[in-house]
Amino acid sequence: MDTLVQSPSHSAELEELLAKAQAARSSIIDMAARETGCHIGGSLSVIDLLIGAYAKYHHDADTAIVLSKGHSAASLYAALYQYGILSDDPAASYGGADSLFTGHPNPKLPGIPFATGSLGHGVAYAAGWALGQKLRRTSGVGIAIGGDGELQEGLCWETAQLVQAKDITNFIYVVDCNGGQNDGLLADISPLPNLRERFEAFGFRVKEIDGHDLGQIIAALEPDGEKPLAILAHTVKGKGVAAIEGNPHAHYAKISEKIALKWKRGLQ
Amino acid sequence: MSSLAAREAYKDELTKLAADNANIICLEADLGGKEHPFQQSYPDRFFNLGIAELASVGIAAGLSKAGFVPFFSTFASFAALRAAEGVKLALGYMGENIKIVAAYGGVSGGWFGTTHHCLEDIAVIQTFQNIRIACPHGEAETRRVVQEAAASNEPYYIRLSRNDKFDSLARDGSGSCRELLFEGAVRSDALLCLVSIGEQATEICSQIYKENERVNHAHLCYVDRDSLKRYKAELQAAAGTLLVVEEHRASGGTASSLALLLPESRVYSHDCGEAWPIYGGSHADVLHYLGFGYEALTRQIAELGGDTDDF
Repeated sequence: MDTLVQSPSHSAELEELLAKAQAARSSIIDMAARETGCHIGGSLSVIDLLIGAYAKYHHDADTAIVLSKGHSAASLYAALYQYGILSDDPAASYGGADSLFTGHPNPKLPGIPFATGSLGHGVAYAAGWALGQKLRRTSGVGIAIGGDGELQEGLCWETAQLVQAKDITNFIYVVDCNGGQNDGLLADISPLPNLRERFEAFGFRVKEIDGHDLGQIIAALEPDGEKPLAILAHTVKGKGVAAIEGNPHAHYAKISEKIALKWKRGLQ
Repeated sequence: MSSLAAREAYKDELTKLAADNANIICLEADLGGKEHPFQQSYPDRFFNLGIAELASVGIAAGLSKAGFVPFFSTFASFAALRAAEGVKLALGYMGENIKIVAAYGGVSGGWFGTTHHCLEDIAVIQTFQNIRIACPHGEAETRRVVQEAAASNEPYYIRLSRNDKFDSLARDGSGSCRELLFEGAVRSDALLCLVSIGEQATEICSQIYKENERVNHAHLCYVDRDSLKRYKAELQAAAGTLLVVEEHRASGGTASSLALLLPESRVYSHDCGEAWPIYGGSHADVLHYLGFGYEALTRQIAELGGDTDDF
């Protein structure tokens, strides 16, 4: 992998983040054991990116973090819960009739600025937020965390075109490159070759990182200042659960409580 | 005759409002024309986002969340249809303070053809709920609607035509365009009340009102469901039969909304029918092809109330 960002050495803070990520994974597994199941594969691939983004920016009122691949709502809820932005445990009611923890991010909950799930919209929203901060002359950033499958939506590229055209250099587009989508592998359905070159052609600075290395994630999440930033985060679908790691068919799953216990014990 | 067409009045009025409201942002989608007055006065708050309507609505949502008041203008078909999902989410569901200004409403695009017509927008936007929908008539009403939109925190969809210039119906100086406007005195012995929406419809209804002493003419500038509810009592008092004249399809048009709100009234529709325009011509030519206009409306009135001479 062409890794441009080096991981900082381990520290107490990093250990704390690793613990948060571990707890969030456990919560995601519990949500998969709910009656509805959840999008577990993509939630486990993106969770480290969310933990890293909130670690860096959750106290910054001028920065918006938008999970544009909204089907991974379980991971967003788990991350927001870890940071105390949500006070209720999402795993206790996810998908339930009286629960606000819906299968795609619910903007009625704290910390969720826009209704994502229909892919691409969160990217444009985050770009608009970034433009607003630029106009206000704050140091705020608009961060969209999307999926690689999501890049099949024209809206993502329509937005990328605008971001460079309007010089929105405080926009960060994090792509969870897990290689999977609902019906299988991107490579089999609609591949995205030369992704780095595509973003560079759209005027972005591009960083490639290990999307499960919290040190790399936090170091990379710094606006470039001269160009909008695309972070291609290489991840593994189902990361942390050996039984489903790298399995494109683990996009959505409902598991038993017994399996959930087993998977949680095996979390690494 | 007014000096400005509605969409020029929009640009001018928004530029004036921006002087006292630093949060107003003007977004265009490559259809605002050169030498846009807002761009000339406030270049830092003007963004021509190019041919990217769906992304533009999303960007407007982010700007709104950041405390700005984005006015986004494009053609009605591109706003209400191409960018429909963004409008549903950002304006309808999220209720973001975005104002969409949609020119080329109805078939005002004339010879440009079906891709540049929009006879479906009111139905689509109405379905998204919670969006204020205004169809101003003429320069003065357009200016006032833009002022009202800027002063409001609600999402707006403002439907304009192309380049026709009209004098708005007289309205009290302090009256909001959200108030139902009767032309002249309400006739107690009227057989029906024409309910006009939009520029061409209002012009035609005004002409018939002046010619026929047995009709009333109510002009609706706002046609979102919440506004229509406010008009119920006044419309019922104006006549038992309402003939809604709107440059739109019957499906999802204002007549259908009023029929649901006023089950005790007889509500009829003069609309653009079911055909797709296939010929060029002016705005009026295309309307004529679709069976919408003075002559067709006069015939419809006669069919509803007897011979034209009865009026």
